[in-house]
Amino acid sequence: MELSTEVTDGLQLSGDSAHIPDSVFGALVESVCDDLLNRENGGELQIADKFGSVDKASLKEAYAALMTFSLECAKNNADSSNISSVLEDCKFTTERIKTFTNIFLEKKSHIQALLGSVSHNPPHIVDVDWRLDYYIKNNHVDKVNQPTYLITLKTEECGQQDTKDVQFACTMEQLQDLVGKLKDATKSLEKASQM
Amino acid sequence: MEEVDNIIIHSLRSIGCSIDESVESLHQFNTEVIVEAAVKCLRVISGLTELPTSLPPGMSARFRLGTTLAQALTDLGYRGEIGYQTFLYSNEADIRRVFMFLVDKLPRESGEAVEETLGASLLLQRAISAELARRLSGPWSPPYCKTNNLVLRGKPAGLVREGCSASHRFLARAVTMPTGCGDLSKKIPKEIKAYYSKDLPLVSHQPLHKHELAPSLLEKNAQEVTSQQEWEFEWNQQGLASRLTQQEYKARKKQRLQKRIADQLRQGVQRGEAAASGTADLMQLVNSMSDKGAATSKTKGSRFTHTEKLQFAQDAEKAAAQIGVEGPKAETEEELQKKREDEVQQLRDELGGLTSKLENLELDMKKFNANMQQMEEQIGLEKRKNKEKEEAYKVKKRTLDLLPDAENNIVKLQSVVDSSAQRLVNLASQWEKHRAPLIQQYREVKELNENRVSEAQKKLEEIRVLREKMKEVADETRAKDDLCKQLMSEYERMTKDVNRSAYTKRIMEIVGNIKRQKEDIEKVLIDTRSIQKEINQLTGKLDRTFTVTDEVIFRDAKKDEGVRKAYKYLAALNENCNLLIKTVEETGGILREIRDLEDQLENESHKKTTANLEKIQSDFNEMKKENSTLIAKLKGK
Repeated sequence: MELSTEVTDGLQLSGDSAHIPDSVFGALVESVCDDLLNRENGGELQIADKFGSVDKASLKEAYAALMTFSLECAKNNADSSNISSVLEDCKFTTERIKTFTNIFLEKKSHIQALLGSVSHNPPHIVDVDWRLDYYIKNNHVDKVNQPTYLITLKTEECGQQDTKDVQFACTMEQLQDLVGKLKDATKSLEKASQM
Repeated sequence: MEEVDNIIIHSLRSIGCSIDESVESLHQFNTEVIVEAAVKCLRVISGLTELPTSLPPGMSARFRLGTTLAQALTDLGYRGEIGYQTFLYSNEADIRRVFMFLVDKLPRESGEAVEETLGASLLLQRAISAELARRLSGPWSPPYCKTNNLVLRGKPAGLVREGCSASHRFLARAVTMPTGCGDLSKKIPKEIKAYYSKDLPLVSHQPLHKHELAPSLLEKNAQEVTSQQEWEFEWNQQGLASRLTQQEYKARKKQRLQKRIADQLRQGVQRGEAAASGTADLMQLVNSMSDKGAATSKTKGSRFTHTEKLQFAQDAEKAAAQIGVEGPKAETEEELQKKREDEVQQLRDELGGLTSKLENLELDMKKFNANMQQMEEQIGLEKRKNKEKEEAYKVKKRTLDLLPDAENNIVKLQSVVDSSAQRLVNLASQWEKHRAPLIQQYREVKELNENRVSEAQKKLEEIRVLREKMKEVADETRAKDDLCKQLMSEYERMTKDVNRSAYTKRIMEIVGNIKRQKEDIEKVLIDTRSIQKEINQLTGKLDRTFTVTDEVIFRDAKKDEGVRKAYKYLAALNENCNLLIKTVEETGGILREIRDLEDQLENESHKKTTANLEKIQSDFNEMKKENSTLIAKLKGK
C-alpha cells in the first residue's frame, strides 16, 4: 500500500490528540465511512456541527486523509495487521488503531463493493423470454415442419435502471449449440474455481 | 527400528490404510494388512487402480495378486529380492525394506507446497479460484431482490456484485485537500488558512457526483505517489550532482522549462509568419514592418496638427454649410457634394504639404543636433590639447630657468634623482616584504578552498551512495516483508502436522544415538588396540626371557646332569604354554562363532519360518483341493 506524503501527513494529524481529541476520533472515522458509503449524514454543515470543537482546517485535512486511507485499505484488501503497521508509522496510539480497525473492518466489504461498482461491463443478462413457433409450410414447400425459437434476453446496462431487450430467432440446432456453449462456460468456471 | 516402523505406519495411515491404533510395529502386520497397504501405496504412487485392496479368497488369485505386486514393485525400481512370497509369507525384515522403499516413493505434498510459495501468481490464482467458488456457491436471485446489485454469498458471507445497473465508469475530478495544518514548523499564509477553514468544502463534497469520490481520491493519491517517486529519482540522479538546494534546483528547472517553452513559441510564430508570407522574402516582411513603424511614427508626430486641422476643417465646413444654407438654394446637392469634396481635397493637400515640411524641419533639427554634438566633442579635444601644451610649456620654462646655473642644478637634480631612486628601491623592498606573506596567505587560502571543494565533492558522492543504499535496503525490506507475508499465509494454510515435529525429534534422537554408538565403538576399538599392544609386549618379553634362560641353562647343561633335566623341563613347559595360548585363542574364536550363530538363529526365528511353512503347506493343500475340484468340474462337463 502506497500513500502520498499528503495523506500520511493528514493521518499523523488525525492521530494526534492535540488536533483531533480522542472523544471525537471514533465519530470521525464513522462519519468518513458513512460518507464514503453514501449514507445520509446530513451534509457538511452537520459534520461541522458534530465536531464543532475541532479546528476546521485540521478537520478537513484529517477527513480527507482518513478517507483516502480507507479507500486504499479496501483496495489492497488490507487486514488488521497491515493497517496497524501503517498507522503505527503515523504515530497512532494502540487505542486509536483499534478504534479505526474495528470501524473499518466492519465496513470493508461495503467499501470494496463500492469500489467494485467503478467499472464498465458488457450488458448483463438478467432474464429471458422465449416463444416457440412452428413453421409448417411456405409458398414453395408444402411441408417444412421446423421449430423456430424466438428468444428475448433482458439485459442490464451500466448505469441504467431499466432493462433492455436483445431479440433473436434461432433454429433448434442453433439453440442447442448455444445451450452447449453455455454449459461449457459453466463447467470451465467450475473447473477454475476448484484449482 | 521402532522409529522407522512408526514413520512407515504413520505414512500408511495418512494415505488411507485401515491400520489398528494398537499396531505399533511391522511385526504385528498380517498378510491382509500388508497387501492392502502395498496396494494403496502403489495406487498413490503410480495410479494403478485395478488391483483389489482386500485379499481374495481363492489361493490362485492370491498368488496372482502377490506376483503382480512384486512385478509392480520391480517396475518402480525396487532392487531387493521380491516375489509373491514376500507378501503372502511375510518376514519382518523383507516387509520393512519393501515399505521403506514404498514410503520413500510416496509423493511429497509438503515439499511441493514449499516450492509453490515462490510464485505470487499462484497465490493470486488460488485466491481467484476461491473467490469464484464463493460466487458459485449461492443460488441465482432475480435482479429486483438486490439493492445496488449486491448479494451476500459464500461462507463467511461476503458482498458480491451481480449485474451492472449500479456501476459506472472511472471518472476522476481534481480534489483539493488542506495540507500542513498539523505541522507547526511551517507557516501557512493566513489567507490560505482562512480558505481552508471557511470556504473549502469537504473532499466528499468536492466532486460533482458522489460516485466520482472514490476514483478521485484514489487517483489523487496515485498521482502524488508517482510524482514523489519521480522527483526522488530525479533528485538522486541529477539534483544531487548539481549541488543546489532543492528549491534552487526546482527554480532553475522551472526557468529552463520556461525558456524552452518561450523558444518553442517564438519559433512557432516565426514559422507561422514565414508560412503566411508564402514565398515572399523575409527581408520584404521586415521592410514592410519597418515601414509600418515609420508610418505610425509619422502620424504620431503630427497628431496634434492633424486634430487641429480637422477641427478647423470642421469649423470651416460648418461655416460653409451655414453659408450654403443662407445662400441660394438653387445649388443642387450634387454640386454641394462636389464642392465639399474639392474642399476636402484641397485641405488634404495642404495637410500633406505641411506634414512634409514638418518632417523636413525635424530632419534638419536632427542634423543640427548631431552637428552640435560633434562640435562639443571637438571643443573638448581642443581643450585637452591646450592643457597638454601648457604642461609642456611649463616644464620647458623651468628647465630654461635652471639653465644659467647648470652645473649646480645638474648636481642637485642628480641628487634628487638618486634620492628618488633610493626611495623607489626602498619602496620596492618594502613591497616585497609585504607581498611575500600576502602571496603565502593567498596560496594557503586557495589550497584550503580547493580542499573544501574536493571534500564537498566527496561528501556529495557519499550522500549519493548512501541514498542508493537506502533505496536498496528499503526495496529489500519491502520484498522481504512481502515474502514474509506470503510465507505466513502459506504457513497458516498448511495443515498443522504434529508428526512433522515428531519426525524431526526422532531424527534428532537417531542422530544422537548414532553419535553415541560411534563413540562407544571408538572406545572399544581403543581398548582392543591397547590390549593387543599389551599382548604383543608380553609375548616379546616371554620370548626374550625364554631365549636368555635357554642359553644360560644350555651352557650349564653340558656340565651338570640336573641342569640338563631342568633344560628339558623348560622346553616342555614352553611348548605346553604355547599350546595353552593357542587353545585359549581357539576358544575365543569358537565363542564368537557361537554368538554369530545365535544371532542367525534369532534372525531365522524372527522370520516365522515354521509358521510360514505351515501356512505354505496348508495353502498347498488348498491349492490341490482347488485343482481337484476344477478337474472334477472339467470332467463333469
